[in-house]
Amino acid sequence: MDIDKIKSLVAGLADLLEGRRLEEIEVQEGELRLRLRRGGSVSIAPLPAAASNPAPAPAGATPAVPAASEPAESLFVIKSPIVGTFYGAPSPGAADFVKVGDQVEVGQVLCIIEAMKLMNEIEAEVAGEVVRKMATNGQPVEFGEPLFEIRPRK
Amino acid sequence: MPEPPESPRYLTKLAELFVAHPTVVLSGTRMAQELAISRSSVWRGIELLRQYGMRLRGHRATGYQLEAMPDLLLPALLAPYRKSGVFGRRVHHFFRVDSTQRAALAAAAAGETHGTLFVAEEQTAGRGRQGHSWASPAGQGIYLSLILRPPGPPAGALALNLAAGIAVADAARAAAGVDADLRWPNDLLVHGRKAGGVLLEMSAEATRIQHLVLGIGVNVNQSEFPPELAPLATSLRLAAGRPLSRLEVLAEILFQLEARYQAFLAGGAAELQAEFARRSSYAEGRRVRVGAGEGAYEGVTAGLDAQGFLQVRRDDGALVTVISGEVRPAGRGDGDGG
Repeated sequence: MDIDKIKSLVAGLADLLEGRRLEEIEVQEGELRLRLRRGGSVSIAPLPAAASNPAPAPAGATPAVPAASEPAESLFVIKSPIVGTFYGAPSPGAADFVKVGDQVEVGQVLCIIEAMKLMNEIEAEVAGEVVRKMATNGQPVEFGEPLFEIRPRK
Repeated sequence: MPEPPESPRYLTKLAELFVAHPTVVLSGTRMAQELAISRSSVWRGIELLRQYGMRLRGHRATGYQLEAMPDLLLPALLAPYRKSGVFGRRVHHFFRVDSTQRAALAAAAAGETHGTLFVAEEQTAGRGRQGHSWASPAGQGIYLSLILRPPGPPAGALALNLAAGIAVADAARAAAGVDADLRWPNDLLVHGRKAGGVLLEMSAEATRIQHLVLGIGVNVNQSEFPPELAPLATSLRLAAGRPLSRLEVLAEILFQLEARYQAFLAGGAAELQAEFARRSSYAEGRRVRVGAGEGAYEGVTAGLDAQGFLQVRRDDGALVTVISGEVRPAGRGDGDGG
């Protein structure tokens, strides 16, 4: 990963964060994900798919970004236990079980994965904030595919 | 008289009291004492039981008497018919409930045991897949949910879904003499119309199933359907040409389910898939429409894959694996539940 590129990306995102008065921005390019939060915290993390094969990029990239000296925060990834169709809501037209930014409790239903009319309610295994929703309503997901990221509550 | 949304729990016990003393005139006071409820609750309960078809004759000053054995799915009445091992050994019976599936899921999460049956004479919010409803008129169908706790990983449960459909078809043949077709994955069809449906809901960790709740709705004794369902639905009674004992059908369903469940546990997934393919006119060579709305497509069914998913050869030549969604005969735009 090109360090200059990260620098300019962070600078651009910081402008956007200020200009739009946003609390947090997250972008993803290739196998790198970058998150900026108001208050100066930046985190860079490899995508979950690449996590099993630690790339040197994040470690090498951190010195270039002063605020990223703290390690990438550990997010809990909820994965699909079966091949199936992802449903974010209990029925078409109904409100989603959860949305990004929601606080969830252990055991709370996050989504349904359906395969062959076998409805699998996916529950939160940790309490915390839903940071990211990766699957799209009505679309197929693979076995082990990441569905949500949750920032565990301290 | 406005009825409560859910039948009070004493109602089943009151009904069983009459069933246990079929020729006896039972005094209201004694029944109230026996069940530890008020005299007025007994009176209200008797009115409700009459609405569910129990013939209870009132005797001035002495009490009430059961005139004929009802075809109600009471635990005490089911017991002598039951041939299954653990399936239905424990029973939660409701005259009226929103959804047996909802009740069973809540109980399963609270630790209710494997094989426990939840059954209702009537559901006010019977559930199908993805928010579809299941019409559940009082005393005519069988609306049940069964708690299952199989060992093994979540993906293994897929074969159980086929097993359930096959078991219900077996029961229709054994108890009603009706030969039913199966529409992938597990709809029960008679002469192309839906007579039963299966829904399987699972709570699982990544590698281990916590519990499954198997929901089954079967149209048993309906002699007619509301206009919006009439072209799509049928009942075992309409197919058999005679009214049926719901108790016998329920006992047979439990028995067949348990037999197929044992086969599933013994690692019979491939065998269940082969059995489904033999029994279902939808497994191969059938022109179907898959899905509804924008993403829908048509093609010809081409058997099941190794996991039991339906394969469809689309008109453009592509072989598609159907993971979920409605499979209907091509050219019919209906969307009856699932």
